[in-house]
Amino acid sequence: MVSANSRRDYVVLAVSLAVAAVFVYAGVDKLRDPLQFADSIAAFAILPAMLINLLAFGLPPFEIACGLLLLGPRTRRIGALAVVAVSILFFTALASALLRGLTLDCGCFGAGAPSRPRMWLELVVDAALFTGALFIYLRSIPRLSARVASTEL
Amino acid sequence: MRLPHERSLGSQILRDLIGVAVLAIASLAAGLTTNHFSSAPLPVVYQTPEQRFDAELTTLVATPPFAIAPAPTVGLDQFRTAIDGKSTLILDARPSAFFEVGHVPGAMNLARDNFAADYRRLGTVLQNAHDKPIIVYCAGGDCHDSRLVANALLTLGFSNVSVFTGGWEAWSGAGLPTNTGSKP
Repeated sequence: MVSANSRRDYVVLAVSLAVAAVFVYAGVDKLRDPLQFADSIAAFAILPAMLINLLAFGLPPFEIACGLLLLGPRTRRIGALAVVAVSILFFTALASALLRGLTLDCGCFGAGAPSRPRMWLELVVDAALFTGALFIYLRSIPRLSARVASTEL
Repeated sequence: MRLPHERSLGSQILRDLIGVAVLAIASLAAGLTTNHFSSAPLPVVYQTPEQRFDAELTTLVATPPFAIAPAPTVGLDQFRTAIDGKSTLILDARPSAFFEVGHVPGAMNLARDNFAADYRRLGTVLQNAHDKPIIVYCAGGDCHDSRLVANALLTLGFSNVSVFTGGWEAWSGAGLPTNTGSKP
């Protein structure tokens, strides 16, 4: 018989694998064409020119590292919190672009034609990633996890 | 009861946030290193596609004279015939100040020293002249501007570009009509 604890562990593992796969894919894809990714960041018209390329250089390795950290039980917590932080960043940038009436290719998961429906879809994906990562993080904090487990008993 | 080795929730989250910050710094360092050793490294400060195009165009006309490809040349008679035929695009490669003082009637200013900006300003005219004959001239004598501009146009895919080697010196010296101002 599978206990509630091990069922929760499987759920955390499954969500971690899913989020990790998305982040590693997104990171590797951005590494292939940093110039195009820099153009995508510039299209948001949020960052000054000084910071655009730095973000284009740093974000792909950061996403890949997040994905890899989610795979290890001891590193999962840091990976999940990093995904939470970066998802908030993506969500804010995308929402602000939508509110300002911009139509752009966010460069989130590979290059594509600028499209508002796609931006809305990516906003939903971001929200899902944020929720998944927050779930993993909260389940990975020992004290919090133990408290939840004791209330469920 | 909390055990002595247990940390408060706040300090756990703070520790994790420091871990995320370290991860961000390490990722930026990795990204900068990867870019540095890549085959086409990007500058640290972002350049818009327009700025990149301008830089590329400027590079095209900055070729040292010894590296200039021998573009076809025309003499004064051929140049006059081309102007009379009105089917050839005439380009003046001298700086705009000289162009305004005097230029060949119908010529447009595509200055070597302001090539990128002039190229974009003449965008539609040049697009329509991709396969049409184009003759470029400059001051005449030993001037290289017309050759540099002609070479840049050939590199950009214009198929029928030649140089009037006599240039402004030969044209004005022959007492032929001239125009002044920024208009052709």
